[in-house]
Amino acid sequence: MDRAILLLSVMCLGVSSQPNADNQRLFSIAVSRVQHLHLLSQRIFSEFESSLQMEEQRQLNKIFLQDFCNSDYIISPIDKHETQRSSVLNLLSISYRLVESWESASHSLSGGSAPRNQLLPRLSELKTGILLLIRANQDPSEIITDNSNFQFVPYENNYHNLDDDESLRKTYELLACFKKDMHKVETYLTVAKCRLSPEANCTL
Amino acid sequence: SETVYECPDYKTAGENSCFFSKNDTSIWVNYNITVVATNVLGRTFSDPVDIDVVYIVMPNPPEEVRVSVTQKTDWPFLRVSWEPPKKADTRSGWITLIYEVRIQLENEDEWEVHPAGQQKVFNIFSPRSGGTYQVQVRCKPDHGFWSEWSPSTYVKVPDYFPREKSMWILIVVFSAFIFFIFSWLIYMNIYSLKHCLLPPVPGPKIKGFDKQLKNGKSEDIFSSLVVSDFPPTTSNYEDFLVEYLEVYVPEERELIMEDSKELQDSLKSENSTCDNDSGRGSCDSHTLLIDKGGCDKEDGLQSDQEGSQPEMDSKRHEEAPEEELLEYSHGNVHSPDISSEKVKSWPSLFSPLPQYSLSPVNQPSPPEMGKQHCLSDSLFAPDALSSYCTQPGPSTKTDFRSNYWECNFNHKQSHPLHPQTAAHEHLQAQNDTIMACVEHIGAPLGVHVPNVRPTEYVEVQRVSDENMVLLHPVSSGQENSCTMRRQIEDYSRVTLNNDKGLLLLQSESMEEEMDMCPNEEEMVSRVTSNGYTASITPTSQKSAAGINTSLPILDERAASGYVDTTTMFGLPTY
Repeated sequence: MDRAILLLSVMCLGVSSQPNADNQRLFSIAVSRVQHLHLLSQRIFSEFESSLQMEEQRQLNKIFLQDFCNSDYIISPIDKHETQRSSVLNLLSISYRLVESWESASHSLSGGSAPRNQLLPRLSELKTGILLLIRANQDPSEIITDNSNFQFVPYENNYHNLDDDESLRKTYELLACFKKDMHKVETYLTVAKCRLSPEANCTL
Repeated sequence: SETVYECPDYKTAGENSCFFSKNDTSIWVNYNITVVATNVLGRTFSDPVDIDVVYIVMPNPPEEVRVSVTQKTDWPFLRVSWEPPKKADTRSGWITLIYEVRIQLENEDEWEVHPAGQQKVFNIFSPRSGGTYQVQVRCKPDHGFWSEWSPSTYVKVPDYFPREKSMWILIVVFSAFIFFIFSWLIYMNIYSLKHCLLPPVPGPKIKGFDKQLKNGKSEDIFSSLVVSDFPPTTSNYEDFLVEYLEVYVPEERELIMEDSKELQDSLKSENSTCDNDSGRGSCDSHTLLIDKGGCDKEDGLQSDQEGSQPEMDSKRHEEAPEEELLEYSHGNVHSPDISSEKVKSWPSLFSPLPQYSLSPVNQPSPPEMGKQHCLSDSLFAPDALSSYCTQPGPSTKTDFRSNYWECNFNHKQSHPLHPQTAAHEHLQAQNDTIMACVEHIGAPLGVHVPNVRPTEYVEVQRVSDENMVLLHPVSSGQENSCTMRRQIEDYSRVTLNNDKGLLLLQSESMEEEMDMCPNEEEMVSRVTSNGYTASITPTSQKSAAGINTSLPILDERAASGYVDTTTMFGLPTY
């Protein structure tokens, strides 16, 4: 939270002076954070997968055909073209919503290994950063129209009454969805950053 | 979703492959892929593979790999640059690639891999001079697979480092350095090296005397050997004429005197039988005036216990060489049957006893009797040993009974003199050096020396403060009963008469035997202005013949401080 306050204060100071440079810096920070979160999710998933036995793995692969996550209600570009067609603000808002949904579901994620315990604070910080970016890139006229996008759908907690097999499968799905969403946010933020970057080649 | 899509293309990817193109797949979707094998009997499903396209992306290798040698400084480096594959949209940020560079020297097997991150330029420093390098680059998305290595790019590094030349220069400098150090070490240790390789040959030295010389007292020694008033300026020139003198020191005494003062030792060793140490040449040379006159100085230091016999025995040993020496050099007379007498030859550098020596010459009978041993003590050199004996001239070539003069060398400092085996008398004044010559005149054989009496030795027991020397007779010969008895006698007191320069011996013999062997020797002490006068008073022979008398002659030289004294044995009170 300290970092968020710092970012906020700096941004308030820097918005008036050099918005673009600060924007880029904020984007860089946000991108690095989401990259780290993505790596965390990958590690957690691989740990979970390795803890499973072969039989369970096979079953999980067979059964897991739903291919849906709780965050599917958030409409997000699914390929490169859609992503490049979307505006920066749209990308930022989608990212914000994704992070927010997972932040509320972090209680089911956390527990057990240490990396899981770090997810919630990191998610919170990332959400704050994205909010700052939204505020920085947002036109005052667009605030009202984007309210619908910020409709918060509470996360459905469907994992309380599950038996062991179900819980195992659910955990598997949960971790997989988390990993995917983190990659989405990373991609959106990177694209938004490169779009706003004055340099021709923004691959950092 | 539950939709199952079958592979649209089995051929593009090769045999046993299925190709789902981009149209059929999308990212962020988990696909479950299974292979179904079907035959007549039925179908079997393989294990599913769950994938997300994002995570299995394998990009194309980087393109346009360029390597250049940058020589902005003296030390060039390699700069590698490349471009991402065209199909990878890194420009929009859709995909982020990280790169890896590897380099290999020509004709080597190992690659040097460098992770490059997301940059497209990479520097390689310190390439080998003159070497040819092969460079390759590959890339990978954030979450994907590594691409293939790009085609190799070759680069040649110029010879910026003249290696061979510098190597030789380095070798030369190093060798020179080593050489300098080595030569310096040798220079520092050259003496020890020389000593090790070429051990020094010991030079000739004289036992006993050499030690004294080394001790730094050579000055004193040499000065003692030099008479201050030599050449004598007296008118009585012929008195000083002495051809040569030889002084012998018995070996036995030498050994005993080893413990005594060094000066005496030097003298002693000098006169001993020529050993390996001593300069034998002096023994054989008749013309050599030996500086290190070793008179029987040690006689005075010898203990009383030394019997005359051992001394004579030792002397007998020396007889043989001495004989030769005597005959050769001085023609000294030594009787072969010396049992109690020893012929001693004392080399004398100076002729401080001209008169003394001459007198025997002039008076053939007594001098022919034997040698005269004179004790000389040089005053001018307090620590010097100058003892020498004057011998009768070369005229003595007849067989005599061993008569010899023994010169006792006295230190300037008075010291108790012990009786010696042979009757040596030391007279030493405190202030003046007294040369006491004891003439031991044995009965000559074949020579009519009726007047000659065997001399006996008188020892100076002590020197009193009043310049009185107490003489103690020492029996010298066995056959001389008189001497034996005289040993017991307590001897005369010696008074120094400074006025006349006379040293008077006063005998205080209590024994009756003394009467039998009257000591008729007179002590003649004379003082000459310029030098000493040593005279063997033939008057000693006035006494009964056949009596061994020791004729001490005391000469005193007050002027120069050099006094030759011969102690007279059994002298009556003067």
